[in-house]
Amino acid sequence: MVDFDPELINRIFETTEPVPVTREKIAKFCAAIGETNPLFTDDEAAKKGPYGGVIAPPSYATTFRNGRHFFQHVPRYGRAGMDAGKDVEIIAPIRPGDTISLSSAVKEIYDKTGRSGTMVFVVVRSTLRNQKNEIVAHIDHRFMNRP
Amino acid sequence: MRFEDVQIGTAIGPEEIFISKDQTRMYARSSGLDAPRFTDDEGAKKEGLPGMILPGNMSLSLLTKLVTDWIGNNDARMIRLGTTYRVPVQPDHTLTLQGFITNTYPDTRQCEIDIWIENEEAERLVTGTATVEFSK
Repeated sequence: MVDFDPELINRIFETTEPVPVTREKIAKFCAAIGETNPLFTDDEAAKKGPYGGVIAPPSYATTFRNGRHFFQHVPRYGRAGMDAGKDVEIIAPIRPGDTISLSSAVKEIYDKTGRSGTMVFVVVRSTLRNQKNEIVAHIDHRFMNRP
Repeated sequence: MRFEDVQIGTAIGPEEIFISKDQTRMYARSSGLDAPRFTDDEGAKKEGLPGMILPGNMSLSLLTKLVTDWIGNNDARMIRLGTTYRVPVQPDHTLTLQGFITNTYPDTRQCEIDIWIENEEAERLVTGTATVEFSK
């Protein structure tokens, strides 16, 4: 059983300064993944769509970074953590002109023993809010460590 | 396509894509990920990797695109996507993205889709699950 301070769980240490979302940033992101869906790329076509204008692709939510000092509060187990996976819950679209701030907390810590030995997983939950304080997404990041 | 048209077992893809090192760098820069492992072979090797790898978020974004392409201009949206990074994904390879419908939930008008990325040897590098919700 992995050892950690239970007080750590769900405690928000830092909320980032709002990061502006621009049409240009969305266009660069779309270009990098080969995105051509008019909802995300074509202003005129998107105006007639369900959102009344271009929105960011759902995975754009993963481009917002944790606060600079956040990981000082996250326990380390052995070597540096590896990105083991993510769960993204999309609640509302992200649009050009939005500003997004992110607050993160350790959601859970658990260990698993497999053929390759023991692994400790630290799950960090980030909550993204827009300028209206509406939650637009939750992202659970799973970091795997080998003690 | 309406929710009523969605059938368990329906395949999504396969879609073959070639991801170059330049495209990987472009993604890394557009996402503020400038670690050498995502931009430079030599830097990646110093970290014990065989060479540059795709950021996990890039794999997640490619799988998201597979799902949103399937949705197209239908009255539905992806509400959740989870991924597990099993093996590092290297650029300058052809990747195959695919999935299939595993469940439908008439009460919530949602369906679940298993999705994954394979390399040329049909090894699953990234696996995941997406949930799509159709409007009433």
